[in-house]
Amino acid sequence: MGIKADFRKRYYRKKSDKRKGIEAAFTLDAQFEVGDELAVFFGRSGSGKTTALQCISGLLEPNGGKIIVNGNVYFDCHKRVNLPVQQRSLGYVFQNYALFPHMDVKKNIAYGLKGWNEKDKESRVDEMLRMLDIKGLQNNYPSQLSGGQKQRVALARALAPKPDILLLDEPFSALDRIVRMKLREKIKEIQRELKIPILFITHNHVEAFTIADKIVVFYDGKVQQIGTPEEVFYHPKNCHVAELVGVTNIFEESSVVKDDEMAGTLTICCENLKVTAKRPECQVKEMISWGIRPENLRILPETDETTINENTFNACVKSIVNKGSTKTLALEIKEHGNLMIAEISDQFFENLNLKEDDRCLVRIERDRIVLF
Amino acid sequence: MFDQIGFPLLITLKIAGLSTLIVAIIGMVISYILARRDFRGKWLADILVTLPLVLPPTVTGYLLVVLLGKKGVLGSILYDLTGWSIVFTWQAAVIAAFVVSLPLMVKTTTAAIEAVDREYEYAAFTLGRKELDTALFITLPLAKKGILAGIVLSFARAVGEFGATLMFAGNIPGRTNTMSISIYSAFQAGNNELANMLVIILIVMSLLSMAITAKVVNSWKI
Repeated sequence: MGIKADFRKRYYRKKSDKRKGIEAAFTLDAQFEVGDELAVFFGRSGSGKTTALQCISGLLEPNGGKIIVNGNVYFDCHKRVNLPVQQRSLGYVFQNYALFPHMDVKKNIAYGLKGWNEKDKESRVDEMLRMLDIKGLQNNYPSQLSGGQKQRVALARALAPKPDILLLDEPFSALDRIVRMKLREKIKEIQRELKIPILFITHNHVEAFTIADKIVVFYDGKVQQIGTPEEVFYHPKNCHVAELVGVTNIFEESSVVKDDEMAGTLTICCENLKVTAKRPECQVKEMISWGIRPENLRILPETDETTINENTFNACVKSIVNKGSTKTLALEIKEHGNLMIAEISDQFFENLNLKEDDRCLVRIERDRIVLF
Repeated sequence: MFDQIGFPLLITLKIAGLSTLIVAIIGMVISYILARRDFRGKWLADILVTLPLVLPPTVTGYLLVVLLGKKGVLGSILYDLTGWSIVFTWQAAVIAAFVVSLPLMVKTTTAAIEAVDREYEYAAFTLGRKELDTALFITLPLAKKGILAGIVLSFARAVGEFGATLMFAGNIPGRTNTMSISIYSAFQAGNNELANMLVIILIVMSLLSMAITAKVVNSWKI
């Protein structure tokens, strides 16, 4: 079972705009299918992820389309079906937890168990406390909990009524790294145990990559790509997706100057920057966009004459940012004049002994070039 | 002695207590609707509720007579049906106190409800709770400080009500002579001793109610 969604939601600048037929300021056009798996809604803030989640939950009413969960019609514009939130069997976890501050942990978790008898309630709350490793906290109030504990209680509360789907809106964004990592594992574990569809919103590509079975990429209100983390990260469909997954160096509209099917290579030229990439198996267009991740740029000392060959360019170091375990360099490519961002390990950086305004060589790894 | 001090005190407490009870209940309903619903003519409803706050109390009292008096728009129907008129009764004083204190309740409570994060309500909805259930067990409890402030202000306003009450309920010894009105009468009659006594009782009462409220609010964590 799972979620089948195909709906639209329009926002207008003013209420009267809709009547007057003025074009909507923002339109969400969401189309996706999610099975019993952990699907990540990935995109920048303002790309429509939360709106999509709220439409599925029923907190917002779409302007058109259909939402079907486990065969139950939640929303169908044509048949005029719009199931109230209360009748959609779902668990929703909010970014700021939204734990009821005037109730203790136990009451918070039991709040969704209306109509259960006291004994069942008690044992379900107990089960939830155990499942999320928060036994012992049941009599605490939310103000007495740490961020990670609050999020565990929020998860327990959402899962207690045995929902058909679980919706998580940037659940870990306010937590520190260690707690976040632990909770990611917990979510994965919960998904494997309950086997229900989980929709998880994030704008963090590391989080998306580590947690997802499937990624739905949103950009400007539209679903750009749906696929496994590997597909999305290594084969982004367009420049929006590429940028989102961390391809910092993107060259749009480059012309293909040589398409060598025999050698399996493709030579592309973009403003004097000529690079050779691995040829994709499909038909190649005349104009193509390409990009390279910052960690896939190789930096070589300028004196290294032997290494001058394809995809290697002269560059000048414009800035160096220390990120702790890595250094991020902004490099001005001589032939091209544009900046490229490279990320190299600390150790490698030490060997190079580079300072700002130093010259060096940049090599773009042929096999690492992403074409879209 | 009872006629001069005891009765005004009791009738004042009765009138203010009853009007505050009605104000609290109706005020919460109106406030919830104003804070959480969008409807046509909301601005008008808001103005109508607030109006007694800015109108001189004598004007409010006059309007009440015009509306509910023996020859008033609604009052005449009531008189024809029952032969009874509300004017110059303690019930009239309750209505006057209700009308002038409602805006204080609604303004404070609306602001308090608006300040409750809607996410709590959404969370309750996703947990299967209906709107009424959510309002009673989530929204209103989280707005309780503002609601209590509204109730205390309304009670204080009802106790101090003078203008509209005088117009609508009169100053009838043994029937509608509330504390505020008795102070005025005693002062007019040159009975300073009585006026002083009544004033002291009112001041003590006000201080006491403020102190109790502060104590209660401080004991609330949320």
